Amino acid sequence: MQFSGSDRNGRLLIAGAAAAIAAVMVLVLIAGFRLATQIRASVGALQRTSSLQTYPAVISQQLTALRQRLGTLEYTGHVHRELARTVQNFNRRLSGVERRNLDPAAVRHAERLWQNYTPVLAPVLAFSGEPYDDTDTGSSLSASGRKYYDEVRQAGIFAQGNAPVLHSELAAVSAALQARTSAAAARLRTLLLAGVLAVLLLALAAAYLQLSRARQQRAAREAQDQTRDILKTVREGFFLLDADYRIGAVWSEALTHLFGRSDFKGLAFEELLRDKVPADTLATAVKYIKLLWGERARENLMKSINPLGQLEVSMDNGRGGKESRFLQFDFHRVMGPKGVKHVLCAVGDITSSVLLARELQEAQENAHSQLDMMIGMLHADPLQVSAFLDSAAAGLKHVNTIMKEPARTDGEFRKKLAGLSRELHSIKGEASALSLMSVAERVHHLEDMVAELKAKSDLTGNDFLPVVLKLDELLAHLRGVREMTARLVSLKEGPAGEGTASLPQLRIGDAEAPQAGRPVRATVDLGALLEQLAGKLASDHGKQFRLTLTGLGEVPAGYLDTVKDCAIQMLRNAAVHGIEACETRRTAAKPEIGEVRLEFRRLEAGYEFVFHDDGAGLSPEALKEAAVRKNVITAEEAAALDNRAALALIFRPGFSTRDSISMDAGRGTGMDLVARAVYGLGGKIGVSTNPGRFTRFKITLPAAGAASAVA
Amino acid sequence: MLREEELKTFVDGTTRYFEVAAQQPATIGSPYLLEGDLAVHDYTGVISVSGKREGVVYFTAPRAMLTVLLMKMQESDFSHENMRDLVGEVANTISGNARKDFGHDFVISVPSVLTGDKPEIPRKAGMRSFVIPINWRSHSAKLVVSLT
Repeated sequence: MQFSGSDRNGRLLIAGAAAAIAAVMVLVLIAGFRLATQIRASVGALQRTSSLQTYPAVISQQLTALRQRLGTLEYTGHVHRELARTVQNFNRRLSGVERRNLDPAAVRHAERLWQNYTPVLAPVLAFSGEPYDDTDTGSSLSASGRKYYDEVRQAGIFAQGNAPVLHSELAAVSAALQARTSAAAARLRTLLLAGVLAVLLLALAAAYLQLSRARQQRAAREAQDQTRDILKTVREGFFLLDADYRIGAVWSEALTHLFGRSDFKGLAFEELLRDKVPADTLATAVKYIKLLWGERARENLMKSINPLGQLEVSMDNGRGGKESRFLQFDFHRVMGPKGVKHVLCAVGDITSSVLLARELQEAQENAHSQLDMMIGMLHADPLQVSAFLDSAAAGLKHVNTIMKEPARTDGEFRKKLAGLSRELHSIKGEASALSLMSVAERVHHLEDMVAELKAKSDLTGNDFLPVVLKLDELLAHLRGVREMTARLVSLKEGPAGEGTASLPQLRIGDAEAPQAGRPVRATVDLGALLEQLAGKLASDHGKQFRLTLTGLGEVPAGYLDTVKDCAIQMLRNAAVHGIEACETRRTAAKPEIGEVRLEFRRLEAGYEFVFHDDGAGLSPEALKEAAVRKNVITAEEAAALDNRAALALIFRPGFSTRDSISMDAGRGTGMDLVARAVYGLGGKIGVSTNPGRFTRFKITLPAAGAASAVA
Repeated sequence: MLREEELKTFVDGTTRYFEVAAQQPATIGSPYLLEGDLAVHDYTGVISVSGKREGVVYFTAPRAMLTVLLMKMQESDFSHENMRDLVGEVANTISGNARKDFGHDFVISVPSVLTGDKPEIPRKAGMRSFVIPINWRSHSAKLVVSLT
């Protein structure tokens, strides 16, 4: 911009110099023309005046010739006529003498002298007769001839006496005219010289300006070349946006490579990103660009809220396909005298950096996860972990079996979701209990995916692709856990135990064939597992409670999985929802340390499993309110429910009193899992509560089921 | 780990074939992980992949499905050779789509066609296999992506 302004000034200066040269030349020519005209007039006058100087002498000579001819009686007619012509010419020329710029006295003096000639010349010139009388004896002057002769003689004497004076007067007039002509000629020379000098000076000035301009243009060209080189070489895409959010006329070559197009001039910023980013991202980007033009917007603040700092775009990959790339847009406002003039945009392809950062983050997460896993395993009994891994493998096999069930319609796909949720929730609960958080978090993520699918309409197989990938990742992770457990066992047992430390490899097909749709899972030390889970839950949720376990040794192997799943879910519910914080308990005049009891006993006709906590209890009204909020039932249905039916809401799939989902609660899957597991074994479940005092679940299981489950 | 986009590239390549060749798009069923050996159908088109990922991708379809597909394509030759060519063509489309999306990252072989219910499909130990049912009309084929 600076170069073009300077160039314009240079052009103006050169044009000004050329105009000045032309003006000077015109002035010189006009003045010269006037002077030349004046000189020409003066020269003419001088010539005429010079010719007048000869007249007095000629008149004198003609009068003398006339007198002599009269004296010798010769013919005088032609001399008389010449004299008359001479006088007439002298009269005419003298009156025609240019008087401007002359001393008028000199001319008047010459005129007066000439006027003195008139009285003496007039009688001579007036003579018109024959001056001779011719007789037989000869010729003689007639009377008029003698008079004529006398007048001629007197005029001759006068002319001879006055001719030098008149001549000198006329010479003075000529001299004055000559002086005037010389002065005019001198002025003309001066004028021409001054004009030539002025033109030369102006020409020099124009030449200097032209040289300066050429230098500036060269500098501008060099600067443009440099700018072009920069724009050609720089790896970022640079361009300017105008007040209409359109791209200017200049951009860096990298922009062409970044966007695979070159028609940027006048292109709206919105069009640049259209079809490359989701519609909501595009709308946010456009809003942000508009904000940049606000006079009050602070650049640093704007930079901190830049939504295009790391933008994932879908671009043509040059082979007819699409590829994801990450672009970083940086914006700088270019200020002008009237505020924001342009917005400079810098676009960089940060795909490799983002992918590298992701890989690093993934590696870090893996490292953390492995560390967490190791720490978790150090605290857990390896055999318990191994049992969990078997149990998880069986659970995931069931998950895969659910996935494998043929589905073509939304209903068929949706049918899978409840089963997936329950199975995953059960695995997560057990992983949490063993503090295998890396496993629990992965399962939690998978649960999130399933929850998203529940909220989606028109499910298709495509929606399940990320689920199956995540399932595969989880299985790979469990294989890692198994390998690490084997190493830990090996370390604990020492070199002697190396040969026996390896645990069976985890594969989907390893678990036993399912009975009633679900494979049999490995057994774990339930008491230790629940103690560990209780400690972790108390620590995670800032609660204090004492867990009392009674009769777990009585649990038949066939019911162990169900009892374990139920106990884990109910313990988590008690820790999250039931047991109050110490302060709340104090205020409510309850012991600061809560109490959770789990009793399993054999009955005459089956088994009884009681879970009791002295926490906040269940409020039927709060349950109804939560069920309506979660769209489990309508407000009308809620109004029609009695307290007993309201309590039963907790077994509905998707029901939870919490609005947010955490690792331990909020999905509304846990009690659904408990109820289904119990009903699946032909058992019953009952719940009693006293709001503010306690909650008690009583599960009864048939005796026959224990034997068949074992088988 | 195999990425969703990579998996989708193979899936899209398969469903696109049906859309273009038979003017009736195929849909995919619920994907799952392969347990043990897959019971393949009558005709199986296999492409080998190397480079960024190693392994095989194969499309296996029953004769009945291929017959209907040929009919929809106005073909009247239902010979064994024509069936083989058709499966090879599907595998070729999958391969072309993958080349388009992955470029030089993946080296993809020319498809080979195997027949019978126990074809020799090369597999590597530890290679995970994703099975994606391909549903078209009342028939169902399978796409298996088995890459490290």
